[in-house]
Amino acid sequence: MVSKKKKTIMYLIMILITLVVVFPFLWMLVLSFKSNSDILSSPLSLPKTLNLDNYKNALHTLDFIRLYGNTFFVCIISLVVELIITFFSSFVLARMEFRNKKMQKLIYGFLIMGLSISPFILLFPVYKINVLLGLRGKIALVFPYVATSISFNTLLLVGYLKSLPSEIDEAAIIDGCGIWDLMFRVILPMTKPVIATIVIFNVLYIWNEFPFASVMLRDVSDYTLSMGASFFKGTYTVDYGGIVASSIMIIIPELIFYGIFQKNIVEGMTAGAVKG
Amino acid sequence: MHWLSKRKYKIGLLIPTLLVYSVFIVIPIIIAVGYSFTKYSGIGKARFYGLSNYIRLFSDKVFWISLKNTMIIFVLAFVLLLTISFLVALLLNNRLAGADFSKALVFSPAIIAPIIVGIIWVYILDPNIGIINNVLDAIGASSLKHKWIGGEVFSPYSIAVIYFWQQLGYLVTIFIAGLKMIPGDVLEAAQIDGASGVQKVRYVIIPMMRTTISTVSVLIITGVFKIFEIVQQTTGGGPNHLSETLVTYSYSMTFSSSDYGYGMSLATFTFILSLVITGIYSRITREKEA
Repeated sequence: MVSKKKKTIMYLIMILITLVVVFPFLWMLVLSFKSNSDILSSPLSLPKTLNLDNYKNALHTLDFIRLYGNTFFVCIISLVVELIITFFSSFVLARMEFRNKKMQKLIYGFLIMGLSISPFILLFPVYKINVLLGLRGKIALVFPYVATSISFNTLLLVGYLKSLPSEIDEAAIIDGCGIWDLMFRVILPMTKPVIATIVIFNVLYIWNEFPFASVMLRDVSDYTLSMGASFFKGTYTVDYGGIVASSIMIIIPELIFYGIFQKNIVEGMTAGAVKG
Repeated sequence: MHWLSKRKYKIGLLIPTLLVYSVFIVIPIIIAVGYSFTKYSGIGKARFYGLSNYIRLFSDKVFWISLKNTMIIFVLAFVLLLTISFLVALLLNNRLAGADFSKALVFSPAIIAPIIVGIIWVYILDPNIGIINNVLDAIGASSLKHKWIGGEVFSPYSIAVIYFWQQLGYLVTIFIAGLKMIPGDVLEAAQIDGASGVQKVRYVIIPMMRTTISTVSVLIITGVFKIFEIVQQTTGGGPNHLSETLVTYSYSMTFSSSDYGYGMSLATFTFILSLVITGIYSRITREKEA
């Protein structure tokens, strides 16, 4: 129904928008092959050769193995803790019977409320609480990350668990399942798709998180990736090339991750928004 | 089912989540509000200070600057994001070859660490090494050169543009999800009645997308009050606090100046302001619907 001319215009606009959005990434890639003095003296020139010095410098200054290691460490612990506790609480809220239905709704609403809370009001008090509990270094990030994931996880898990028919539980109980068997051997395997979305969404969140990390991490040896990215501001006062190369080494794995899990990432990000 | 719904199971299974949530979300908010009524430098004990921190807000020039900047970012980002992401969604919702690929690429800035987003844009907006000013030089339009970041005027506008770049694809995706929910026969009926493209959008699509539009609006409102890393990376709030936003100013008062009481009053103010704007917004849209 759409005329050919109209369709061509639509294609052109689509390509234009895509290029405009992608351009900053491409520009970073181009710059990463230019020497620092070239970036400073002739910003628009294209690199003459594939000069990898910036990457060498970046690897020399930033301990990427450690940055990725720390991020990975915080990520795994936070995810294990948050998945266990929110699976438990969501199971109760979605599949158990409450004599007082209002209570059930109230607890659910209370847990969901966190979606509208900005982390910035939490930074200093959480820092204080961590000090009080004796949590220091990268471990201090675990509870803030677990806590800020609760609302999102509850939203997705409760929604999904409610959609599973209650006959499953009845059949399992008649077959002699106890509550642990029911939760772990019957319900949990069915929850895989939503757990995948939660895991991927939270991995991305922790990978990118900066405000909490900047407050809790004092020691360079504890730095996570986003802290590493901010770190070279001081170190390389003028080494723009090094900054670009380091950024690319953080972006590329993220983009690959996005490429692989695109469906879950988009689903997680939009589900949290639309249902919230 | 209900013989497993024993009280001790329910309580036992709920407690870990409730505990972590209370200790790391709910209590911190109470603590933050509490500190906002004190004078506290981190050494010794916090001293009760009544409303003094809040009174100080009104006479603090930097507070007004950061409020103004936050509002500039909010208004500009709101207008740009709401209109353009809607239009892009309409475009990409057509069955164009490559639309999915384009959507995936446009979405990608939303998954990058915001701190890296800030770094990327330094290379575009920086007055000396940034591409914009250098291109303007190269085409002989040097008079259009400005200090896009780090100057006295343009920083908040630039922040809004960066935020726009970061969020566009994300909001487009949400709009497309909303568009997909409009039943096809409604659009066909409009088509048969001879509605033009613009009329269809104006009289069918927009009214039917009300929920999605308000979701997107609330996301933009709450999102603007979470912008932090971009400002830190591009301007650091400078020069002379001129590009500070409420969030960065509160952060710098708390963690750089160690003026914890005042920092928490800024944080509390910001938190309440974002809730109020969200509240007003949903009030207005609800009235319109009624």
